[in-house]
Amino acid sequence: MHEIHSEIGHIEKRMVMNEKTPAEYGGRGLSAWLLSCSLLMGGLGIATTSYAEMAEGFAEGSRPAPPSAEKVEAGKRVYFTKCVWCHGVGGAGDGPGADRLWPRPRNFNSGTFKIRHTASGELPLIDVDLFQTVTHGLPGSAMPSWEGILSEDQRRDVLAFVSTELVKDRSWQDTEFEEFHVLQLDTIQPVPPTVESVKRGSELVKELKCIECHGLEGRGDGNAFNLKDDWGFSIQPADWHKCWNFRGSRQDAYNVKNIFRTFSTGVSGTPMPSFADNTTVENRWHIANYVASLCERDMDVDIAGGNVTDEIAAALVAAQPRGIDPLSDKPKVNFVVPSKFVEGELPADEHDERWKLIERRIVAMGGQITHKPRNFVNRIDDVWVQSLYNETDITFMFRWDDRTKSVQKDSVDWEPYEVNLGDYGIEEQAPGGSKFADDPEHPESIAAKQTAYQVFNDGIAFQFPIKWQELPAPRKPRYFWGDEGFPVDITKWTADGELKAYQGTGWDVDFDDRDDFTEQMKLVKAEWKNGRWTVIVTRPLKGDYEEDTYIELGKYIPINFFVWDGHNGDVGRKMAVSAFYYLVLEPPIEKETYIYPTVAAIGLVLVEGWILTRRANRRKGKA
Amino acid sequence: MTWLKLVEGYMPMQMISELVICILVFSIINYSLKRAGMGLPKFWAGIFVWAFVNVFYLKYRIYPPIPFSVRAIYGTVSACGIFMWVSGSQQEWEEFKRPIINVLDAKTGMTKFIRTALLILLPIGLWGFAYNSFLPNFDEPIELRTVHPAPPATTKVHGKTYVLQTASNPYRINPEGKYDQAYSNAHIVDQSMGRLMKDVNSAEENPWDPNAKGYIKHVREGGEIFFQNCHFCHGDNLNGRGLWAFAFNPIPANFTDAGTIAQLQETFVFWRVSKGGIGLPGEAFPWASVMPPWEQHLTVDEIWKVVMFEYWHTGYYPRTWE
Repeated sequence: MHEIHSEIGHIEKRMVMNEKTPAEYGGRGLSAWLLSCSLLMGGLGIATTSYAEMAEGFAEGSRPAPPSAEKVEAGKRVYFTKCVWCHGVGGAGDGPGADRLWPRPRNFNSGTFKIRHTASGELPLIDVDLFQTVTHGLPGSAMPSWEGILSEDQRRDVLAFVSTELVKDRSWQDTEFEEFHVLQLDTIQPVPPTVESVKRGSELVKELKCIECHGLEGRGDGNAFNLKDDWGFSIQPADWHKCWNFRGSRQDAYNVKNIFRTFSTGVSGTPMPSFADNTTVENRWHIANYVASLCERDMDVDIAGGNVTDEIAAALVAAQPRGIDPLSDKPKVNFVVPSKFVEGELPADEHDERWKLIERRIVAMGGQITHKPRNFVNRIDDVWVQSLYNETDITFMFRWDDRTKSVQKDSVDWEPYEVNLGDYGIEEQAPGGSKFADDPEHPESIAAKQTAYQVFNDGIAFQFPIKWQELPAPRKPRYFWGDEGFPVDITKWTADGELKAYQGTGWDVDFDDRDDFTEQMKLVKAEWKNGRWTVIVTRPLKGDYEEDTYIELGKYIPINFFVWDGHNGDVGRKMAVSAFYYLVLEPPIEKETYIYPTVAAIGLVLVEGWILTRRANRRKGKA
Repeated sequence: MTWLKLVEGYMPMQMISELVICILVFSIINYSLKRAGMGLPKFWAGIFVWAFVNVFYLKYRIYPPIPFSVRAIYGTVSACGIFMWVSGSQQEWEEFKRPIINVLDAKTGMTKFIRTALLILLPIGLWGFAYNSFLPNFDEPIELRTVHPAPPATTKVHGKTYVLQTASNPYRINPEGKYDQAYSNAHIVDQSMGRLMKDVNSAEENPWDPNAKGYIKHVREGGEIFFQNCHFCHGDNLNGRGLWAFAFNPIPANFTDAGTIAQLQETFVFWRVSKGGIGLPGEAFPWASVMPPWEQHLTVDEIWKVVMFEYWHTGYYPRTWE
C-alpha cells in the first residue's frame, strides 16, 4: 500500500516538475502522458522488485556524484556552441535541424537513452554510456563522434549540463526511485564465435521472435514498418548486415560485445526490449555471435532465410570482416568496379558459381541534395555491385538491402521519362524549425512522416558517358544525368518490371528513350527476398556509337549509380546517388607479362655470377 | 595502432614528435649498448632504421595512406641518409660492409648457406616483382583537382549582380548597424580546443541568448540554415565529415581546416555557395561535385547569414582585399 502511495506521489511530483497536466498535453499528448506513467511504473517495478538484480550478468551499480556548478556552467557553453542546433534550447530534440533528420535528435527531457549498460528502464551511466555516445557518435544517425573535436573534459562538461539541466523528468540523484543495475560487460566471459554458437544463435533468434521485427535474414524487414518510438516517431529495426550502422557500435563495428550489451539492456524508448530476464548469459552470447556473423564480410554468405545449417554457420564463421575506413566508420570504398571475362553464357541468376570470380564492391550512397526535391533521408545507403562480361555482353548484379518491397499501386500522372515532378506535387521536406515547436509530436517533421509517403517504385539506375573515348581528360558529364555537351547513357530498372535505356542531357531535362537499345538489354533477374533486392541486368558491350556507350577492355569508364526506395516516397529526382566510380573490364593477361620478368631474372643471375667471379679473382690477387 | 589516435588538426605535429621520440629512444639504446660493449652491428642497425621509417611508420601508421610513389621517394632519401651515416669514417664503412663481404666469401657453413639461398631467391623475387608490375593494374586513378579556382569578377544571384571586390556581407554589422569586420572578429568562437563561444551568458557572444541582436542574432539565423541544409555533408562541426561526406567525391570542404574559408574572402565564399559545384570552372571538376547551387534553395540574405555563421563557428575571419 505504501508503495502505491509513493508511486502516486512520484507522479504528482513529476507533473509539478513538468508544469503540465494531462489536459494541457491535449488529446494527442494524453497517450504520451499515459506512456510516461507506464514507463514510470516499469521503472518502479525495477526499484521495488529488483528483478534486474537477479538478471544474470548484472550487478548493483553506484550512483554518480552530482557534478559541480562549474562543470555544469562549462557544459552549457559547449552545449550552446555545438549541440543546440539539433537538440534544441530546452533539450527536447527540437533544434532547427531536427525536422529534416531521421532518426530524430534525442529528446533529453524524459531521461530515456537508447544505449546503456544499465537495466531496462534505468537511467544510463553518465561516465560510461553517455560519454561513449558523445565520444564515438551514433552511426546511422547525424550524431557525429566528438572525439578530437571536444576535449575529454569538454565532453564530460556537456554531459554534466545535459544530465542536470536538460533531463527534466528524472534525476540521477533521486535516491528514492532511481537504482542502477549494471551489466558487467568487462568481467562476463564471452562465448567464442564457433560454428555451434552461431548455429545456436540462429535458432534462438527464431525462438525469441527477434525475426518478427528484424526479418528472417536479419535485414530489418520484419513486420515492423509501422513501429514507433515513445514520442510517436517512426523507427525501424536494425539491419544486422550493417553492423557499422548499429547505434551502439562505438566505432568498433564487428565487436560482438556491443551487440551483447544492446541485447541485454534493450533500447529504451523503442520497441526493442531487454532480454536479460528471460535469456541466459550464454544464450545471449550465442545470439550476439550470430548477429555479428551476419554483418557483411568478404564473402556474401547465403543464409537461406535464416535456416542456418552447419555448412552455412561454418561459412559465416570463416568469413573475414571488411576493412572499416576510420574516416567514415563505414566499409572502405574502392572507386573501381572491376568486371571479369567469362566464357560462354553470362550467369542466369545469383547462384552461378562464376560470381565468385570477381570481388563485390560496395557503392556508398548519399541523399540527392543538389537539386529540388532534395532527399534528406536516404533509406538505401549502399549497394553491392558485381560485373562479368563475355565477347558480346556485360552483366551487372546489384544487391542492396531495402526493408520494404515497393511497387507502385496507384497510377501516376507523369510518364516514366519525366524528371520534373514538382508540378505533380513531389516536394522536399520543409525545414520546420521553430514553426512546429509547440507540438511535441512534430507531425510535419520527416521522422513523423516516414510511414506516410505515397508508395512509388523501388528502382536502380546507372549511367555512363556516351562517347567517353572523346572526353578530354579528366572531363566527365555531370554526375546528375549528364549535361547538354556531354550526354549520358542511362539504364534504369523499376520494380514494376521495366528495364529501359534512356539518354540524359541534364538534371532538369526529361529523358530521351533509346528504344533500340532497350530491346537489346535483358533483365535477367529482379527479386526482393528477405529485405534485399537482387537485380541482374545484361546489356551489349556495344550499340550505336552515337547513342550508346561503347564498353571497351582495360579502360576506366566513368559510371555512377542512382537508387530509389518507393516507401521513402522516392521518385524522379528524390533518390539516393553515388559519386563517380570507374568500370574496368579486366583484359586477359598478355604474353609480355611473362616474358619480361623472365628476361630480367636471367639478367640478375648473370650479374650474380659476375660479382662472385670478381670477388673470387680479387681474393686470389690478394692472396 | 588504434590505441594512439591521430587527432585531426594536430596530425603533423603528432607525427613529427613521434618520429623524434623514436629516434631519441633508438639513439639512447644504441649508445648505451655501445657503452656496455654490445654495440649493434652497423649493418643491421641501418636496415632496422630504414625498415622502421619506411615499412612500419609510413605504411602502417599514417592515415589516410600515402601513395606508393611518395613512399618510394621517402625510401630513397632515407636510404641515402643511412648510407651517409654508416660511411662517416673508413672504419665505420668497413664495419658496415663486413657482413656483405662475409656472405660473398662464404667461408663458414652459415654464410655459404645464406649465399646459396640469396643466389636462388633474388632472381625469383625479381621475377615476381616484375611480373606484378607488368600485370595490368586497376587501382583507383588519381585526379588532381583545383580546390580554390580563380573567382569571376562578378556573380549574378537572384537577378542581382555582385562585384566580388566590392560586395560586403550586409549582416556583418556592429551595434550601430555599420559594416564592421573588426567588431565581428571580436565575437567569433575561441580558437582553443573545442572552438567554443567566448561567454555563454553574454548576449553579445551567445547566438542563443534571448537578448541577442544584430550580428550575433544573424549568426544564429545562419546556423539554423546550416543545420537544415549543409550539415548533411559538411558535418555538425563544419569539418567536412557529414553523414554522406564519404559517399561523395570530391569530399566536402572542411571549414575548420586553416586552408579553406580562412584563406578566402567572404565574397568568394558567397560566390561558391550561390553557384555550387555546377558553377565551378573546369579545373575544379564541376561535373563531379554534388554541392548544390544554393541560389536554387536559399535567398541572398540566407546565403550571407550562413556564410557568416561558418566563420563564427570555426573561429576564423574572412580575408580582406587589403
